[in-house]
Amino acid sequence: MKILQVRNIYKEYPNFKLQHASFSMEKGTIMGFIGRNGAGKTTALKAIMNMVHISEGKVEFFGLDMKDNESAIKQRIGYAGGAVDYYQKKKIGLLLETTKRFFADWDDETCEKYMKLFSLDANKTPSELSAGMKVKLNLVIALSHRAKLLILDEPTSGLDPVSREELLDIFRYLKAQGVSILFSTHITSDLDKCADDITYIRDGRIIYTGSIEGFTQGESLEAVMLKHEKEAFHEKLAL
Amino acid sequence: MKNLLYKELRLATPLLTFLFLAFSLMTFIPGYPILCGAFFVCLGIFQGYQLGREANDIAYSLLLPVKKTDVVKAKYASAVFLQMLAFFGCALCTCIRMTFLSEAAVYKHNALMSANLIFLAFVLLIFMAFNVIFLGGFFKTAYTIGKPFVIFIIINFIIIGIAEALHHLPSLQWLNTLDFSYAGQQLSILLAAFVIYAAATAAACKASQKSFEKIDF
Repeated sequence: MKILQVRNIYKEYPNFKLQHASFSMEKGTIMGFIGRNGAGKTTALKAIMNMVHISEGKVEFFGLDMKDNESAIKQRIGYAGGAVDYYQKKKIGLLLETTKRFFADWDDETCEKYMKLFSLDANKTPSELSAGMKVKLNLVIALSHRAKLLILDEPTSGLDPVSREELLDIFRYLKAQGVSILFSTHITSDLDKCADDITYIRDGRIIYTGSIEGFTQGESLEAVMLKHEKEAFHEKLAL
Repeated sequence: MKNLLYKELRLATPLLTFLFLAFSLMTFIPGYPILCGAFFVCLGIFQGYQLGREANDIAYSLLLPVKKTDVVKAKYASAVFLQMLAFFGCALCTCIRMTFLSEAAVYKHNALMSANLIFLAFVLLIFMAFNVIFLGGFFKTAYTIGKPFVIFIIINFIIIGIAEALHHLPSLQWLNTLDFSYAGQQLSILLAAFVIYAAATAAACKASQKSFEKIDF
């Protein structure tokens, strides 16, 4: 069973269209969602999460339609727009204590384990954390309710190289624990290190979805993506 | 729903909002348009929305495994809870003014609205206006708070103006009396205000749920 199945989702804004995007994810895999700034990554992820309304298409998690089963699905997934950007001045302990009330599968031991592993202090507030630590806090929340799939929007954006490497290590560790991860990024070198599959989006259109090797054909991901983007740019120039 | 209400009161409602409930004590101020106390209570709730917007409260709520309609319902429920606390405060002060302090000169010769059951009815109408205009306006975008609050301020002061003017009409002087012989008429107006408050708030909540569902975040 596919853990995530996105079928022909379509969303139109005055200056942008998400054009019949389709892709799927298998259990226990890491998928990178790549594209340049403004390509439609965030819109697509928000559409998947039912935060923007699609006019066509369907999104299924664990075989369940997102529109009809939003609450049940959110019990089993974790979504974060990168770092924790809410309640910056509240204690992390209070945030966790409040959040856990909503999740049937919340496990305090797991929460404590990851808080320790990521060196997070419940008495601090998110505003006192670095960008990398904020991403880790989001991971703690998602993992404490035993999320089977994490959807992260640009989690490595703005992180220093060491924090980024550390986060990618965590992704690999989580994958080994059976957690699937879909994360958007425009830093292709992140994906070379940990992704099994990629979905490449350009101007709201999915250009490729599948294994990373199938896309790169032995070249580096960055080189292939740049080639595609250059071709598209030259086509625009010719017009 | 219980958890969302807990989240509203623990995370989303700042201390300032609770402190503003103390404005219900303005009911005791003699020679003052005491309905302003109800406005300040609403101002306190508004402050909560302002800080909530800064704290990305709606973004946090959308990550939780709850229905979007319940997010709206919880926001309304917490506003109603705070308003009822303030109403209880106003009612308590009104009871004291109408009984133990009824002979106090400052209250006996009061040119402005007296604290009686009609005053409490107008408190509810101000709260209703806040729920319909401000909360209803906020949930059209889940972001804009300035415009609906300015509209509420205007309507609020029109309500206060009407309340302060009505009892100066010779046939409506009983609206301002502390004479218990008019208690029946005053009580029926208070009950009618309760019904209007509850029905309008429920209708505003339903309309807000619909508009909130349509928003692209």
